[in-house]
Amino acid sequence: MRVVNTLRPAQDEDIGDELESHLAMDIERGVRNGLSPEEARRQALIRLGGMEQVRNAYRERRGLPWPESLLRDLHYSFRSLARHRSVTAIAILSISLGIGSNTTIFSLASRFVLRPAPVGDPSTLLSLHTLHDGDQCCNEFPWPVYSDVRQQAGVFSGVAAYYDLIPASISGGTEPERVWGQSVTPNFFRVAELPMVLGSGFSDGDDKTPVVVLSERLWRRRFNSDKGIIGGSINLSGHPYTVTGIAPAAFHSIDQILNAEFWVPLGMTPQFAVSLPPHDARDYHWLSVIARVAPGVTRKQVAAELDTIAQRLAAAYPATDKGNRFLFDQAGSLPPRDRGTALLFLAALSIVVLLLLAIAGFNVANLLFAQALNRQREMAIRLAVGATRARLRRLLIIESLMLGLAGGLAGVLLSLWSTDALSSLQLPAPVPLNMRVSVDGRTLLYSFLISLISGFLLGLAPAWAASRPRVANALKGDVAFTGGGRRISVRNLLVVAQVAMALILLSITGLFLRSLESASQIDLGFQSRGLLLLSVDPRLNGYSPAKTGAFLEQLRERAAALPGVDAAVLTDVALLSGGNRSEGFTVAGHSGEKDPTVLADLYMVTPGYFNALQTPLVAGRDFSHDSAGGPRVAVVNKAFADRLFAGANPIGQRIDDNGLIYQIIGVVGNAKSRTVGEDTRAILYRSLDQSIANDPSMMGYTLVVHTPGDPATLAQPVMRQVHALDSSMAIYNVETMKQHVRAAYILPRVAAMLFGVFGGIGLILATVGLYGVMSFTVSRRTREIGIRMAMGARRSTVLQLVLRRGMALTFVALALGWPAAWMLAKIASAFLYGISPHDALTFTAVPVILFCVALVAAWLPARRAAAVNPTEALRTD
Amino acid sequence: MGDKADVWQGTLALMVLRTLETMGPQHGYGLARRIEQTSGDHLALNYGTLYPALLKLEQEGYIRSQWGTSENNRRAKFYELTKAGQRYLRKAAREWELTTEILARFLHPAEEA
Repeated sequence: MRVVNTLRPAQDEDIGDELESHLAMDIERGVRNGLSPEEARRQALIRLGGMEQVRNAYRERRGLPWPESLLRDLHYSFRSLARHRSVTAIAILSISLGIGSNTTIFSLASRFVLRPAPVGDPSTLLSLHTLHDGDQCCNEFPWPVYSDVRQQAGVFSGVAAYYDLIPASISGGTEPERVWGQSVTPNFFRVAELPMVLGSGFSDGDDKTPVVVLSERLWRRRFNSDKGIIGGSINLSGHPYTVTGIAPAAFHSIDQILNAEFWVPLGMTPQFAVSLPPHDARDYHWLSVIARVAPGVTRKQVAAELDTIAQRLAAAYPATDKGNRFLFDQAGSLPPRDRGTALLFLAALSIVVLLLLAIAGFNVANLLFAQALNRQREMAIRLAVGATRARLRRLLIIESLMLGLAGGLAGVLLSLWSTDALSSLQLPAPVPLNMRVSVDGRTLLYSFLISLISGFLLGLAPAWAASRPRVANALKGDVAFTGGGRRISVRNLLVVAQVAMALILLSITGLFLRSLESASQIDLGFQSRGLLLLSVDPRLNGYSPAKTGAFLEQLRERAAALPGVDAAVLTDVALLSGGNRSEGFTVAGHSGEKDPTVLADLYMVTPGYFNALQTPLVAGRDFSHDSAGGPRVAVVNKAFADRLFAGANPIGQRIDDNGLIYQIIGVVGNAKSRTVGEDTRAILYRSLDQSIANDPSMMGYTLVVHTPGDPATLAQPVMRQVHALDSSMAIYNVETMKQHVRAAYILPRVAAMLFGVFGGIGLILATVGLYGVMSFTVSRRTREIGIRMAMGARRSTVLQLVLRRGMALTFVALALGWPAAWMLAKIASAFLYGISPHDALTFTAVPVILFCVALVAAWLPARRAAAVNPTEALRTD
Repeated sequence: MGDKADVWQGTLALMVLRTLETMGPQHGYGLARRIEQTSGDHLALNYGTLYPALLKLEQEGYIRSQWGTSENNRRAKFYELTKAGQRYLRKAAREWELTTEILARFLHPAEEA
């Protein structure tokens, strides 16, 4: 089949002319020698062997036009790969592990770093932040500052603000449910250029109108994608709201982390959140701001204009705005506060998976290299029958490219599964997060490229090696290329690199495993056994503060009366929920700028809470049922007392929280407040009874039930008690404290899991690599070993000979890898709990383990070498 | 024709290169004739195999070709040895001499004694 026959007609003409000229000359000679022209022509044709035959032979020799020959090469490569089935399978498996890991990590990077927000023209939409001199980056906007920027900044075509999370209960239809949403300025959807799936966003006069935009997910889940809902009314926390639009499915929130399910106008926020700052306060930072850059305006101009505005505001309002600056980045970027950590974590993971790919690649290269040596005879035959060396090289490169792509395909399949597993991990956060990771187009492109690159690089060495056999020798079955005496062969270099990389990989893995171990020994400061947690938020069902208090107290009493329950207490948010409200406290009467301030996490508790969690009372007393109107009392933890009172007796002291005065009645032991890995934080526990009326919780309330038995069995009975009190009450976060704490360990656990998996794969690949090289060496040297033994070498000597070689390679690799691992460990230090990045155990154990594994990998082939029968060995080769 | 030897695989290229070296640029027919004459007419060269062989040498860069006019004013394609061809010829010739020398020792062991 000629695919393209017309591509090179000129050359066909050429050979035709040449043969015509040849014939003419031959006929001329025949005629000169006395033959008739007919006879001369006949003989000339015989000598030539027929015009058509020569033309065909010539065409064959010239080669096919490239699309056709490429097809042929592909076909041939495929057959060759299919013939060497086991090598192909191992190669594809190795590459797929390498590429699968890379794809998985890249999909994380793609999701959290590279993906622009799902808004119209994401490149011109900015998130603005404020930054006060000397503070950590970054803060939100006070309303007046947002308003000033909106009016003064000519570089923007639109500026919008939103309050990032408000809870609501949604009822009607199925069971009541608590959902989270955002309140936004009416121009929000226009500035973000979000095209609605259905209906429209808000119009300018909507700021105080009860209208709502639903997320596509909520619309599907609760309203069955009913198109008739636009213009209809739904019930949010007991208030009727008119649905104006459905937001696009991809949109969760501007920051791409929070998972908001509805949007209401900013002016309606008080229906969902209490104690909002007044609109004229310049020092309450509570609004997130986005801005659309006007056409043709550069980032530089934006920065200059924001600086000017900041200076103008500082001059106009020195008390609040002095030292404030504005920062901005592209909307949808990682929150600036966590960006550094996240990037570092991704960088560490990227290094690890690239190492893994390199190890896998070296493995396959070694395999192909060995195979290439064994295929020298095949190559020699091809050369002898007329293949060009360039053609052979191309053939081998195509083969390895096919390997790379097949491995890449398998790797992508692998990562489909792994990203799914990663997405299903529950983060310990009290707010809804959208952490879904998937293999997107960008990731597929990346995988395709690294597959191609790996395939190409893998093919280079074998292509070079296999395409230069010395024909005569190779045809005789002699492998000329091995160059027996050479000490530093490519294969040895590859295996040294491989083992060195495995050492780095395993060291990092070891560090994370040690970190998990040390994290599991962290004293949480409370006891998690026998505790059940369950949350409700009666406020979302329209309960007044007084009614909320009564409901919670009734629920607590009913739960305490259940059989098997020995204590039931209430708090707002369980410890270790990832984040919490915190405020600055000073000693009452010393609230000046210079006076010591303690930043403390705030929790509400009821009497008996410390007893139920077995947090020791160090001094003073627990809460009793302190009257709601009486003087505010508080229990602080040791860290709080030490920081604010530095050794003085804190009991009876009065402390000030922006004008609210508490009297300290007790001191309890420290406990982990937000995360397992945190440095000890100051905590202030206040009386739930005293706080519920004027400073209610945004997060709802959590009932904590203690039982000597299995707390999980209490879940159903307690939920029944809630519904007995109010059948429309939404219940959420039902879990045992053990499950809750386990979720809090997610970071060390995920890190240890990821690195453990990658480290394990790396170790296996490197071991296989070393074993492969040693086996290959032994099989190549069978005859030499036979001669040595025939000359009287003992088996132990042969064993040593082979072992020494393997161990020498390992030593070189360890000597190279160890310092590299030592240096790289510093990157990991930010994610380690309670161990130093240069953990002595890790850095001694890992080389020793690797050495032992290498010893086994070298010992097996060595034993085979020692078992060589001299007579057999000499006869076979 | 029965007493004439066939051209051994791989040796034709060597003969072509050597002929081009001694004679300078030459067209296909001339090369064929010259090879037959040099062999003392012991070789039966199938002219048809010559052209694919020439193409192979050209593809490998050992010779290059150009259309020109023959001594009888006929249009013909002329082949010429390249630098790479000269190097390759020297190397191949050495290897070939070594091979024949070794073979000669086997076939005429008496001379050694």
